[in-house]
Amino acid sequence: MALVAGGLHDTTLAQEADRRPNIVIILADDMGFADMGSFGSEIPTPNLDALAQNGVRFTQFYTHATCSPTRSMLLSGVDNHLNGLGNMSEMTAPNQKGVPGYEGTLNHQIAMLPELLNSAGYQTYMVGKWHMGKQPDKIPRARGFDRDFALLDGGGSYWDMTNLTARNPNSLFTEDGLYLNELPKDYYATRTYTDKMITFIDEGRASGKPFFAYVSHQAPHDPYHLPRKWRDKHVGEYDMGWDITRQKRLARQVELGIMPEGTPLAERLWFMPMALDLAPAARAVMGRKMELYAGMVENLDFHVGRLVQHLKEIGEYENTLFLVFGDNGPEGSDLLQMLTGTPGTLNYLFAAINWSQTDFKAWGDPGSFVGYGPGWAQVSTTPFAQYKGMTAEGGLRNALIVSGPGIALEKGSIHHRSVMHVADIMPTLLEVAGAVYPETLEGRRLPPLFGKSWVPMLAGEVDVVRSDEDYLAWEIFANRALRQGHWKIRWQWKPFGTEEWELFDLAGDPAELHDRASSHPEKLASMLELWEEYVEANNVIIPSRAIFEAVDDSLPQRFPYAPGYPPIMTQRQYEPPADLFKESNK
Amino acid sequence: MIQAKKHGPVLALAILFAVVLAQPAFGQVPPRFYWKGMNGTNAVLLISMSLSGNANPADHANTVLPGSIIEADIVIAGYAHLFELFDRSAMIAVLLPMGRISGDVTLGGLAFNEQVHGFGDPMVEFDINLIGPDPIRNIPDFMRHEPGFSLDVMVDLAFPIGEYDNDTPLNIGQNRWYGRVGFPIVWQLGPWVPDRRMTLEFLPSVWLFGDNDDFMGQELSTDPLFQVEGHLTRNFAKDLWGSLDVSWMNGGQATLDGDEGEDSDMRGLGFTLGYQLNDHAQLTFGYMATMGDDEPGDLNMDRFLISLTFGWHKLIEGMDRIGGES
Repeated sequence: MALVAGGLHDTTLAQEADRRPNIVIILADDMGFADMGSFGSEIPTPNLDALAQNGVRFTQFYTHATCSPTRSMLLSGVDNHLNGLGNMSEMTAPNQKGVPGYEGTLNHQIAMLPELLNSAGYQTYMVGKWHMGKQPDKIPRARGFDRDFALLDGGGSYWDMTNLTARNPNSLFTEDGLYLNELPKDYYATRTYTDKMITFIDEGRASGKPFFAYVSHQAPHDPYHLPRKWRDKHVGEYDMGWDITRQKRLARQVELGIMPEGTPLAERLWFMPMALDLAPAARAVMGRKMELYAGMVENLDFHVGRLVQHLKEIGEYENTLFLVFGDNGPEGSDLLQMLTGTPGTLNYLFAAINWSQTDFKAWGDPGSFVGYGPGWAQVSTTPFAQYKGMTAEGGLRNALIVSGPGIALEKGSIHHRSVMHVADIMPTLLEVAGAVYPETLEGRRLPPLFGKSWVPMLAGEVDVVRSDEDYLAWEIFANRALRQGHWKIRWQWKPFGTEEWELFDLAGDPAELHDRASSHPEKLASMLELWEEYVEANNVIIPSRAIFEAVDDSLPQRFPYAPGYPPIMTQRQYEPPADLFKESNK
Repeated sequence: MIQAKKHGPVLALAILFAVVLAQPAFGQVPPRFYWKGMNGTNAVLLISMSLSGNANPADHANTVLPGSIIEADIVIAGYAHLFELFDRSAMIAVLLPMGRISGDVTLGGLAFNEQVHGFGDPMVEFDINLIGPDPIRNIPDFMRHEPGFSLDVMVDLAFPIGEYDNDTPLNIGQNRWYGRVGFPIVWQLGPWVPDRRMTLEFLPSVWLFGDNDDFMGQELSTDPLFQVEGHLTRNFAKDLWGSLDVSWMNGGQATLDGDEGEDSDMRGLGFTLGYQLNDHAQLTFGYMATMGDDEPGDLNMDRFLISLTFGWHKLIEGMDRIGGES
């Protein structure tokens, strides 16, 4: 492709259908910032790393803090409070019900990326998790995809159709716009999604059109379902626990250049013990969870490699633009416990029947439900704080790889300067495809895209996507944040936050350790003005109920972070001088 | 947030594996006998058997006494200790049989109606793993342990100090040294999940017998007896398992003062049910009977067996005392 240095956003050039690049989005579910080898992980991800080496890594890329809001902005380019995912459908608050923008599904006030790419002459394919509507007018086929094999729910078994609650016992799937009663023989989510995508690409080649492939993997979202041969690749490797694993990841990040020398590590969550204080058996149990998670990521990488290899074999790799990222921070909450953990309830009974393979040796099997918990979630998001659902950096910031034609930046380089957002992808890809975002669609006036195209930056024409005056903002479950330049304000439910606005300087404090609100009141005030502007412009309704509103009552009290306190936990046996022992004891 | 506690019972099970010791008569080692446990585990067991047939059930040579009808109630009490030797799993055990044997015995044209009781010959068993997983040194090892394919070598040796009366052909002690060498094999089939565990197990072995120089005043010698035992075991639920048991023996020709008998050729078929009572104790029930035993010279015997095993380990005991956190 001759898209470098000014060609990429040349619509005349782009409209030459045979020369426009294919586009592949690899979306991982709940994968953290630090989970790929090229971002500091010890988990082997050679195929994802190869894409990174052939492209560029970005370290200031933001998604939303949960899944469907991110996906909605990815495919609409419009803020989630306008596109229908103002809240997740599972968590819509009483004061949000019936309000446009809070449908819980992608509404029809927007234009979809696949719709517009389709109109621009692309074949559009989707496999994997959808989570933005199950009704006939909301499924992938209805929203612009030519071919699909989609899990419409937000999660569930990787082996079959089992879902998580008594009233929603079966996951719903579609294939090419039709609902499924059964899954293909030998179904395993990550493998089957990859097989289907390869089939779609092969069967669409005769059209001569470029393709847009949205590979929306369920992995590595819990439950950690994994073929047996992938479960035992890291036995014992995580017995050291989350503290040391985090330190090692940060060291690798510094070595790779992902994070600068001297980067502080976020505090260990106050309700998690220091892992080395745990008995060996407890560490083995906890470590097994991370072993399985590592296997999930490794297996995901393997199947990404299969897709990449196939594109090479059919001669399409060189003309394919890849985007790789996770949809939000890693999952630190216990989803199954939240849904089914109350004895005597229907959901508890449902779990007893369908999700009770709790034995250590059964983890990974159908019927098992393993998530790795908050300790490991903070490893996945090293060096940041907290995890999915939170507006701390651990919930919002993710690793991004962009690889393929049209990139003038040095191959294998790491880009730190530009603050980027998942909603930027829509204008970026429209520009790559030579498509235009219309003002109206089928008579409807479309909301403006709030993202900014990366094409000029990728082409080396500009250094950053947005200026220090631009801002990004988020709200989910009443947790809120706004970033402008290197400053960030954050409001979170106690005890993860203070239920007051906090101010952080991410330039030196990416782990959000030091609240600067009292020392920089004018900065806080100016950013709060931006927040009000954001709320007004984007239909933000702070929910009257939220899942984190009572967390403060269920967790230990939070005290100021003081590493090493109390010393009794680390003090070792005193060894007196040998020559001072009683003679008979020497 | 730490969820080790709910795995506590699983960990405590570490002490029970491989300590279901038994050495019942007519030569059948119970299924799951050679599963491995954590180093340092101790266990005691009681095996109660009710047997009926045409051979002395306390005699591992299973020498057929044609025309005899023998009943026996035998209890074996045992103790076992698991340890590590040369970086391999090993076990040492002592077993002491006791009980009553009665019946009508025809030997050399003479008919005896006998009832004997008392202690039998104590036996020592040593077993060490040759091929298979590393020893289980701690609870994490135990949690990760799977037998895969495991091959041991074992040696039994019985000491001739049990009750013996040279006036009767029916004795609980055997008045001779005997023992065996065998190669226990455990082959894991499928996942090692407690409610789905499945194994194929074999024990090829050879019994060796010294001479009894005073078998009713005569000298009794017995050739080596070759034996293969097999078990197909499967858990039906987490705490309940069953086994299909087969046994084949050949050889063991007895010679009485130069008068040679015939080789044994025995096939046995049976089953075992096992139930885990709690983290320490396991109960089994089994039945086995000889097959193809229509001829007078064929071994004809059946056996009911109930066993209770109790295992302990100081680490698990400590955890129990403070409430199960591991």
